[in-house]
This record gives sequence, structure tokens and C-alpha cells, in this order.
Amino acid sequence: MTDGDYDYLIKLLALGDSGVGKTTFLYRYTDNKFNPKFITTVGIDFREKRVVYNSRGPNGSPGKAFKVHLQLWDTAGQERFRSLTTAFFRDAMGFLLMFDLTSQQSFLNVRNWMSQLQANAYCENPDIVLIGNKADLSDQREVNERQAKDLADKYGIPYFETSAATGQNVEKAVDMLLDLIMKRMEQCVDKTQVSDTANGGSSGKLDSAKPEEKKCAC
Amino acid sequence: MACEFNLNFLKELEREAVLEVLYRDQMVRKTEEERIRKLKLQLQQLRWKGARNVNHEYQERSCARCQKSLGLLMNRGAVCNGCSHRVCSECRVCLNPCLWKCTVCYAHGDVKVKAGEWFFEERAKKYPGEAKGCRLTIRLLCGLWICDHGNFKTANILCFLTLGISHLQELGQSKSFNKSVENLVLSLTTHIKKISKSQNDMADRRLLTTDYGQNVERRKQRRSQSDTAINITSRVSILLYNITSSPTSDAVFCDGRKHGSLYSLNSTCTESGNFGKANVTGEIEFAIRYIFKACILEICIKGCKNLAYGEEKKKKCNPYVKVYLLPDKSPRSKRKTAVKKSTVDPEFDETLKYKIEYSQLGSRQLQISVWHAGALKYRVFLGEVVIPLAAWNFEENSMQLFNWYQLKPKQHLKPSAELTNWLFHMINAPVSGKKDPGVPNCQLQVMIFGAKNLPMLRSAGMPNSFVKGCLILPDQAEVKRKSPVLKKEAFPQWKHLFVFDGVTPPQLQQSCLHLTVWDKSSFSSSDQFLGGAKLGAEESLGSADPVPPSVLQWQEVLRSPNTWMDFTLVLHSNKENFKS
Repeated sequence: MTDGDYDYLIKLLALGDSGVGKTTFLYRYTDNKFNPKFITTVGIDFREKRVVYNSRGPNGSPGKAFKVHLQLWDTAGQERFRSLTTAFFRDAMGFLLMFDLTSQQSFLNVRNWMSQLQANAYCENPDIVLIGNKADLSDQREVNERQAKDLADKYGIPYFETSAATGQNVEKAVDMLLDLIMKRMEQCVDKTQVSDTANGGSSGKLDSAKPEEKKCAC
Repeated sequence: MACEFNLNFLKELEREAVLEVLYRDQMVRKTEEERIRKLKLQLQQLRWKGARNVNHEYQERSCARCQKSLGLLMNRGAVCNGCSHRVCSECRVCLNPCLWKCTVCYAHGDVKVKAGEWFFEERAKKYPGEAKGCRLTIRLLCGLWICDHGNFKTANILCFLTLGISHLQELGQSKSFNKSVENLVLSLTTHIKKISKSQNDMADRRLLTTDYGQNVERRKQRRSQSDTAINITSRVSILLYNITSSPTSDAVFCDGRKHGSLYSLNSTCTESGNFGKANVTGEIEFAIRYIFKACILEICIKGCKNLAYGEEKKKKCNPYVKVYLLPDKSPRSKRKTAVKKSTVDPEFDETLKYKIEYSQLGSRQLQISVWHAGALKYRVFLGEVVIPLAAWNFEENSMQLFNWYQLKPKQHLKPSAELTNWLFHMINAPVSGKKDPGVPNCQLQVMIFGAKNLPMLRSAGMPNSFVKGCLILPDQAEVKRKSPVLKKEAFPQWKHLFVFDGVTPPQLQQSCLHLTVWDKSSFSSSDQFLGGAKLGAEESLGSADPVPPSVLQWQEVLRSPNTWMDFTLVLHSNKENFKS
């Protein structure tokens, strides 16, 4: 998928402890498949997917549809790759911060990841979506929804419980992040383009994002 | 910032994997760049459509975009907020009920959004000075390159670089053109040179054609193999020119410490063969003398006559003289005169100096070359003279006089060819018979101590040297030993013991020991020969020749078993004479 027939290139990045399911999550999102095997990511990797984003006019009227090319960066959760992976934070426009609902420790580490993001992302308060993965393993759950929701509220970011195994909420989470980014983009542009009309821009809403084509990069 | 990315923690396979990802990312970036280029082109065309209007009288009321004439009462048009041009109602795009823009202003904003500039602007607030290009990729690449002392494949990086060259250029213009990139570029050219060379002797083709994904495959099909190397060389050299000629990077380079780098970059270009060639004509006048008290070698360049035109068609020639004290081709060894404008008979009257021990001179050659300095760092080779200083009698007054020398075409100087006398320091431990000298089970032990004044073959640093020992027995059987590699040392101290087992003293009488010093290449296939020395029986010496010292030393060793003998051997640079 190397043709340039798209309107926006949006770069997202998944981060979180090793083994929380970043790679399988992205694999589910791009290919709609599940791979239960654990293969640790070597440093960095990425997948691609093209989606359609429907912007909305100011009064909810349907706006234009844009083709968005998503570059989804996958990072190694392992500590030893840290210097390499954090270097890629700077290039991403939004983040999927993931933890494992069956691992309290991975949830506790969300704070560390947040500070990593603040230090290394392109700005102080980038768009982030908090994702509790492995929601299908309800009998092994160690993190309850309330806890996670509270933390997400504290940071003012959306929270989703997902399952790469069943596909639950996977698209929703990514779409939400994309929506946040598109809105921020409009705001940034409004600020520069439309000098003093504060809420002039159209607010976009993601239509269930029917992917135009489903291919992965590899 | 030296190299932020110390990627030594990655294993070789991991580096490959990371490189592969970077490569794919590069493809995405290429597509994106191409898309943005098209967007900007469309915007430009839209602008031009309106720009024609500027030639018309402005009083003639017409829309700045579609040039439809505007009425006085009806359809009067309105002034765009962005560009202050009057446009008709059809050439407006409504952003919200109370704000509109003309088509061009809208498209301008649209391109900015679609090109993702909002992101780079936001990021620039947090990281001022960050170029928007793929600095990260390049920095990582540097990291990969620098930590790559293993068997990592050059081809991968080469392919990658030819792909990412536009970014390097971009980087060259950015202010933080850092040391690592400099090193990268330097070592890259060195390697390309190496590869080109090996391509020439048809020896090591694998290096370039190592498969790397489809890209290489395609490339292989498109070009002939020998073509590839040359092509890459020229492309990279062009890149080098761009970097040095960009004003910002010059500014970076010119601060004292980095001064040398600028020069080395330059000469990498001229050395790697990317320069024009004129028909070599003319002569050069100079004198050489050595000031013993101060240990200074002086080369007085007087002038040249009948030089060829650097640019024959334009009859242009701006000559200057460049001198190297070979085998050192590093910037330290380079001296240049001023450039004389528009003349084929320049007079320089400049004295170039080297601080060097007299004892070292015997191993050096003066390479005095004349160049034409064209526009944009374009260089044309006008001829050279190479003088081996071993044969030069510095004590003789007549040798200090000015002399005319015929300029010659570029000689293919093999690295360290015909250059001798590198001091090799070693302690040799011979033959310790196991109590009974008659019993065949003896050992020859050789302690390799160290070496000094090894030739500097690479422009980018000290050799990663190691020693090979090869004992050639009378039946031509060879016993080989190898020392560990000492990285980046000009005066390596291996202190390594070679043990040759199961040789008898009578055998050793007829045997010969070849000791060679090598520069371990990052790519296992092409270690560079730095010099060699022999001990022992010479195979084919005419009886008329005096017995060489190596034979005498060998006999001395054999005469006194169970004792350590200490030798310092001179390294010779004629690789063919040694087995390793």
C-alpha cells in the first residue's frame, strides 16, 4: 500500500508493558485476526491501514469524507529496548497506552508510561487513549473497570476495555484516538488560519470507519 | 551530541530487524513526500491561474481567482480575509457561517493541514530546531552504523542510504549536523571506495549484491553489477558536495575542532574518484628540505607551467596544489596552497610544512597534486608527482634546490603499496623442547607484543588491528594462528602468545614464519592488510644476495632453545609476499 492516494498520514503509537498485547491488538486492528502466540517485538515495528474519516460540519451536517492512512507503530515493552522505543514517541501524533487487565503490575506501570510520554512525545499533552486489553479473560482479571476509569479520568483521557482475541472495542479505541487527533488538528489549523474565530472549525466524527482496503504492511 | 543512539545493546539480528523496519518506514515517508509534493504543485498551479491577473490593470474590476469581471452594484465581489484580493462569490470557500476564504487561501491552508504541518509546528514548540524530516531515522542509522563492528551487511545500509539521501541533505542544512552523521558519511564513503575497489578486481561482489528485500532485487535487474558501485559512489559524492557547500553546515564545520572534517569530506570526494579529469600536461616546480633541528619537512611550492585547462571548453583554470604525506591520507597529512585564479602558469611561492621525525621519512611518500577549483566545489585533477622520501638524501645540499617535475596522471596507489618500514615490536619465544631436544614434540612460542606506527588506511580513525601468524613448514604445510582484534588503537599491544605445536628443530631450520598485521574490517570478508614481516628460511633467494636479517634472527632463535629472544621487526607492505 504505497500509493499516495490519501488525504492524511496519521501516525499512532502503541506503548505499554511487555506482554500486554500491543502487537496482537494492532494485528487485530489492521488484519482483523488474532495470533495467540507471544512473540516479543524487537525494538520497533509498524503496521499500516487505510480508513475513511467523515468530518462533520458545525451543526452536525455530514461533511467531507477523508482518506486517512494510518501508520501504527508497535513498540517493544521490554526495558532493554527503552532508549530505542522512546525515540519514536516524538514522531507519533497519538498514543494507545495499553495495559493488561489480568496484570495489576502492568496497570500500575501506566503512570510511568504517562511520564515517559510527557517527556518524549511531540507536546506536553498529546492525545492518548488508555486501553485495558485481554477483557475476554474475565476469570483472570486483576484490574477492575472503576480503577482504570478513575485513572483515565484523572488524566482526562478516554478509556476502553478491549480484547484482541475477540476484537471487542479494538476498532472503537483506535477510532476514538483518530478522532481526537483530527479534532486537535483542526484546532491547530483554526488557530493559525482563522485568526480570532474561536470555535469556527468543523468538528469531525468518525463514521464507523469502513476501511477502504485491508492490508498490512508486511 | 555525539551519537545519542548507542545501539550496542542490540544483537546483530535485532539490528537487522530494526533496519528492516526503518527501511519500510522510509518507503512510507517517500510516498508521503511525493504526495505532499503533488499537493504543493496543485496549489502552485491554482496560484498561477490567479497570478495572470496581476498583469491586467487592477482597476479593471475582476475576480482575482477566476478573472470574471465584477459589477459595480451587482456581484461586486468581496475582499478575502487571507490575501486581501477581491474575489467573486463563486471563488469562496465557507469555513463557517461568518467566515470565508478565497479558493487559493483555502487551498493553502488545506495543504498545510494535509501535509501534517500542524504537527511539526506543535513539535517545534517543544523541540525547537528539530528538522521536520526523518532525523530520527538518520540518527538511528548512525547508531546502527557505529555499533556495527560485526558482520552486518553493508549492502543493507547502502541501499538504505541511497534511498534516504534526500534526508541526509536536509540534515546537512539543519544546524545540528552532528558528529555521528559526519562519521557515517565518512565511513560510508570509505566503504564504498572499498567496495568499488573490490568490484574492480572482481573479488568480492557479494558485498553489494547481498539480498536486501525486493529493492535490491530490482536494482540488480536494472543495472549491471559493476555499474552499481559506481553509481552509488557518484550519488554519495554529490551528497557530500551538497553538505559541504551548504552555508550552515560550513559554519558548523568551521569552528576550530571540526575544521579538519570539512577538509576530509572534501578530499574524500577527490580521493574517491568523483572529480573531473583533464589531460595532464605541464610541470611543477618545488623544493624539499628537512630541517633537522626542528624536525620539520618543508615543501616549497614555487609554481607550475603549461597546466591543462580545468574546464577545457571554457578555457578556465583555477589551480591549487595539494600535498599528502603518504601513506597517511587523513586530513592531518593534507596541506594545500591558495587557489590561483584564471591561469595555467600559476606562481604559488608557498611553503608547506610537516612536523615529522627523520626516522619516519623513509617510509613516506610525498604526493603533490595539482587541482582545478571549479564552481560549486567541482574539482578537476590536473596532474601529480609522487616522491618516495626513502630515496631522498636530505643531507645533500643539491637536493634542496628547486626543480621542475613533470606532472603525471593519477597513479593507482594501492593502500600502503611499496611503503615499508613500519616498526613491529615483538618478543619472540622460541623452541622449548620438552626437556629433550631430540624428541620431535617441540613447541615454538611467539609472543606478539605490539606494533607502532601502523599505517592509517581509513580516513575515519584508528585501525582495528590483529596479527596473523603463519608458520610454513618445509613440506609447505601451513600452521596458522590469529590474535584477538584490538579496536581503534594506533599502538596496539596485543601481548598475545602464538603456540605452534609439534614441530621439530630440524623442521624449524627449514621453516619460515610470516607475521602479518591486519585491520579488521567491519565486514569479515575484506580485512585490510597493514603490513607483514618474515622470520626464517627464505624460499628462493639467489646465493649472491646477502643473508637477510630475518634469516639470521631465525637462526639465533633456533640456536638457543628455551630462551626468550626479543626482536623488533620492520613491517613490509607488499601483501603478495606474505602468507596468512
